[in-house]
Amino acid sequence: MGSYLIKRVASLIPILFGISVLIFTILHLVPGDPASIMLGTSATPEAIAALNKSMGLDQPLINQYLHWVTGILQGNFGVSVHTGEEILPQILKRFAITMQLTVFGVLIGWVLAIPFGILSAIRAHSKTDIVVRVFTLLGISVPNFAIGTLLLLGFSLYFNWFPPIDVVNFWDNPIEAFKVFILPATTMGIVVAAGVMRMTRSAFLETMDKDFIRTARAKGNSKWRIVMGHAFRNSSIPIVTIAGMQIGYLLGGSVIVEQLFSIPGLGQYILEGIYQRDYPVVQGGVLFVALVFVLVNLLIDLIYTWIDPRIKY
Amino acid sequence: MKKRVLAGFFLSLSLVLSACSGGGTAPAEQGKSAEGQAKTELIVAAEQEPVGYDPHKVPAASSVRVYALIYDSLTKLDENMNIIPNLAEKWEIAPDGKTVTMFLQKGVKFHNGKDMTANDVKFSFERIMNPDTGSIAKSYFSSVEAIEVKDPTTVVFKLKNADASFVANTASAYASIVPAGSTDLTKEAIGTGPFKMEKSESGQYVLLKKNADYFNKELPKVESIKFQIMKDEAERLAAIRSGKVDISMVSADSAKLLEGKPGVQIKNYQSLEYSYLGMNVNKKPFDNPKVREAISYAVDRNQIIQTVWKGEATLTGPIAPALTNSALDPATYPTYKTDVEKAKQLLAEAGYPNGFETQIETAATYPDMVETAQVIQQQLKAIGINAKINQLEWGNYIDTWKSKDMNLMVGRNTSGVDADRSMRFFFSTTGSANVWNYSNPAYDELVQKALTTVDQAERKKLYDQAQSMLVADAPNLFLTSPKNYYAVRDNIDFTPSAAGEIYSLIKTSIK
Repeated sequence: MGSYLIKRVASLIPILFGISVLIFTILHLVPGDPASIMLGTSATPEAIAALNKSMGLDQPLINQYLHWVTGILQGNFGVSVHTGEEILPQILKRFAITMQLTVFGVLIGWVLAIPFGILSAIRAHSKTDIVVRVFTLLGISVPNFAIGTLLLLGFSLYFNWFPPIDVVNFWDNPIEAFKVFILPATTMGIVVAAGVMRMTRSAFLETMDKDFIRTARAKGNSKWRIVMGHAFRNSSIPIVTIAGMQIGYLLGGSVIVEQLFSIPGLGQYILEGIYQRDYPVVQGGVLFVALVFVLVNLLIDLIYTWIDPRIKY
Repeated sequence: MKKRVLAGFFLSLSLVLSACSGGGTAPAEQGKSAEGQAKTELIVAAEQEPVGYDPHKVPAASSVRVYALIYDSLTKLDENMNIIPNLAEKWEIAPDGKTVTMFLQKGVKFHNGKDMTANDVKFSFERIMNPDTGSIAKSYFSSVEAIEVKDPTTVVFKLKNADASFVANTASAYASIVPAGSTDLTKEAIGTGPFKMEKSESGQYVLLKKNADYFNKELPKVESIKFQIMKDEAERLAAIRSGKVDISMVSADSAKLLEGKPGVQIKNYQSLEYSYLGMNVNKKPFDNPKVREAISYAVDRNQIIQTVWKGEATLTGPIAPALTNSALDPATYPTYKTDVEKAKQLLAEAGYPNGFETQIETAATYPDMVETAQVIQQQLKAIGINAKINQLEWGNYIDTWKSKDMNLMVGRNTSGVDADRSMRFFFSTTGSANVWNYSNPAYDELVQKALTTVDQAERKKLYDQAQSMLVADAPNLFLTSPKNYYAVRDNIDFTPSAAGEIYSLIKTSIK
């Protein structure tokens, strides 16, 4: 286990190095540079050149890369070419917001998904099952921007209620934070729920067919005990897998929900950076997301061993 | 059991909702804060985040709307687009037009308490003109030879040649007066303007507080302005309807949706922008004036107004119609009458009886540009021109625009506040924004002469001639000038105009 952990953490180095090269190259291959995007179609060529020079973008690419990477190794993510702000504090601040949104979203999703997923599996082909399956189909196929827009407009039209516009940290004021995050988190939660519900249903259906369940039934266990005591743990590996993947995606990719509800999270920060060709912001942001993604995956792998002692590394 | 669970669920949902709305106020009371005091903070929805506050470097509209409230320029525009005094209380232009003397307001202070003097003016303009600054306004002041400080409140601009657009250009927010000795204005913003920078929370809002020492004692009328960043239109709509924001710019489509809704008014004005179809006059077959003329006859501009702008736009020439003093009535242009037969005939004379294949570049970022390109594509089909539309991401679009190598391009320009910008900057042979390779010595001479003519009536005649010449030569087809829309809460006295949101915001009060 210990050596496995060391190996996994060590493998982060080449992964992050590869990502850094990839994101740097791709970003600089994309047409358009920060200065001309800032200045738009009424810029003079000298103005564009002067601005690029002041941002250090007139240097050869390899020098720019080395400068960036040495900075990162010293914990310096550089400054945004647009706003002149330090990037690392921004990333951390915005990541904290995205994380709260994700946690709220995932909780809402799981609270919906797991009980209803189990219910629809143990009552397969009943009315409940049909309702759950229709819900999962909708949740998966309706894009989250549509769900979000409907929630936003619906609540403002019919209840004249609009979530507070300034983001509040959960640990500063939980009630205000709840109000801020409720709509965006529900938007995310519906999508999360749909995926997890589907997986829960199929995992349970499969487990309920296993011999040990039949044995448990034959021994006269109550239905509750069979489901929670025997089936639940044995069905959780695929559920945890999909849940873990979702957390990873949500942390990096809650862009649309953040954009829709003006939540200044990490996804929005990176997206804005892409529009503006703010190279340091996008590079730093993507690298950070990659790191989080890899760590979440590592964590999921460790949870496997706890759920199923047969899994050993 | 099931019913009870469901009932419980809805009960808790409604409890949550009532808890959520409990902190807010009923729409009727939104003019008052929770303590019952009159509301003094104006909340404006901003669709983009500001990208720094250096008025000489940053042209992004999201930044201008903020720094133009913090800084002042020497002159400004009133709602009828006339130049009126601002930091300069008056100015004198020498008879030869080569010397402009600006007399500054006395007793104006920067937000840090320092007096604003002629030295600050000299510093600001020299900073703009310094190529290392990379200022967007540098080309506005290319005629300036020297700036002399006569006394603390008098500045003399010596010009290389008479420049009739000079005073109008000093009204630009890009020509804001900054404190002498300023180096990094990216984050710090200290001006003489009606508002001071109070707080800026990246990704969330920018809060400005009233400058109690503002030289115009009557203004501003609100204690603070908060620009709330809301990138999504649906969110802005919901926020204005529920009274969370007071003012929001909205699209024409959303304006229609909001019309007649309680608590909200829609206000609009004719913008200074116009849309165009640009043609690269170096590229075959667009190098042939007959082809360009044919395209002009084939395009039905009124259909673009109806389809793209739902009737809420007007025909335009090279100068947007909002600049009433300079713009020529589009009815005077012969090629504005749609005539498909004539277009076909012209195309045949040019040697393309069966038309040709080509490509229209446009920006995917702006739906109106894409729709305009689609309407034009249909219209050109009628004369045998098959155009493919290439939707580009904004950065890519700018690159293509700069390349001077496109065939056809649909875009939008801002006319600027003086005819010189609409004409010389975009279409003279050496104009920085002339990416169409248009070069006509007769045109260059006209616009240069107009620039150095001080007599306004004479100047108008020259620009009239230049506009007709440009429309006949057609390096661009000038299409439509749209309206801009604002949704405003009922208790807010806000009247937008082409002179700019800023001018209107300073005068805005809360009823």
